[in-house]
Amino acid sequence: MQFILAVVLFVVVVGAIDGRLPWPRSNGKQPRS
Amino acid sequence: MIAGHFGFAAMVKARERSAPLWMLMLASVWLDIVFVPLFVAGIETIQPVQGRLGYGSSLIHADYTHSIIGMLVLSAALGAIAWPKWGRRSAIVIGLVAVSHWALDLIVHRPDMPILPANALQLPLLGFGLWQMPTASAALELTLVLAGAWLYWRAARAVCLKAQRGMRLAVIATLLIAASGILILCLDLTS
Repeated sequence: MQFILAVVLFVVVVGAIDGRLPWPRSNGKQPRS
Repeated sequence: MIAGHFGFAAMVKARERSAPLWMLMLASVWLDIVFVPLFVAGIETIQPVQGRLGYGSSLIHADYTHSIIGMLVLSAALGAIAWPKWGRRSAIVIGLVAVSHWALDLIVHRPDMPILPANALQLPLLGFGLWQMPTASAALELTLVLAGAWLYWRAARAVCLKAQRGMRLAVIATLLIAASGILILCLDLTS
C-alpha cells in the first residue's frame, strides 16, 4: 500500500511540480512543427 | 526499501538536470512496478520471515524482475522507451537508475535475488541482508532521502537563479521529497 502511495507522491506530485522548474531541456527528438 | 530508491533518484536529478525527475523516480522503482502484477498473479511471491511481515522481515521471491538478467532486460527496455523522447544520454541515465534499484536491493535483501530468471541452474542467491539490522537499513534509507532532497535543492535553486525565477516551486518540490520520503519510511517501518 505504501508503495502505491510513494509512486503517487514521488512520480506524480513531485514530478509535476519539478516539471515546472526551468531545467535545461533534454536532446531527444523535438516535435515537428 | 521504498523511500531510499526515490532519494537516490533525486540525487541523480541534481547531476543529470535534463532528465525529467518523474521519469527518474519511476525508473528507480521500475523493477518493483513490474513486480506488482507478477505478485498479484502469484508468479513472484513474498515469504514472511519468523512468521510475520514487516519492515525487511521477508524473503522476496522476485525471481524474474529482480534476477540479474531480468533486471538488465527491464532496465534496457525502459532506457529504450525513454531514448526517442529524451535522447541517448538521458535514456542511459534512466536505464542506470533502474539498475540502481537492484544494487540498493542487493544491500538490504536477504539472499533471495537470483542471477538467472526463475533461478535457473540453481545458482547462489544474492543479498547482503542489511534488513536483518532494521535500524541500519532505515538509517541508510533516511540518508538517501535527505541527501537526495539536499542535492536536489542545490540544483533546483541554481537553475531558478540562472533563469531569474522565483524559488517557491523549488522549495515545495524539495520539501515534498523530504517529507514524502520520511512519511513512506515511517509507514514502511510500522507496517
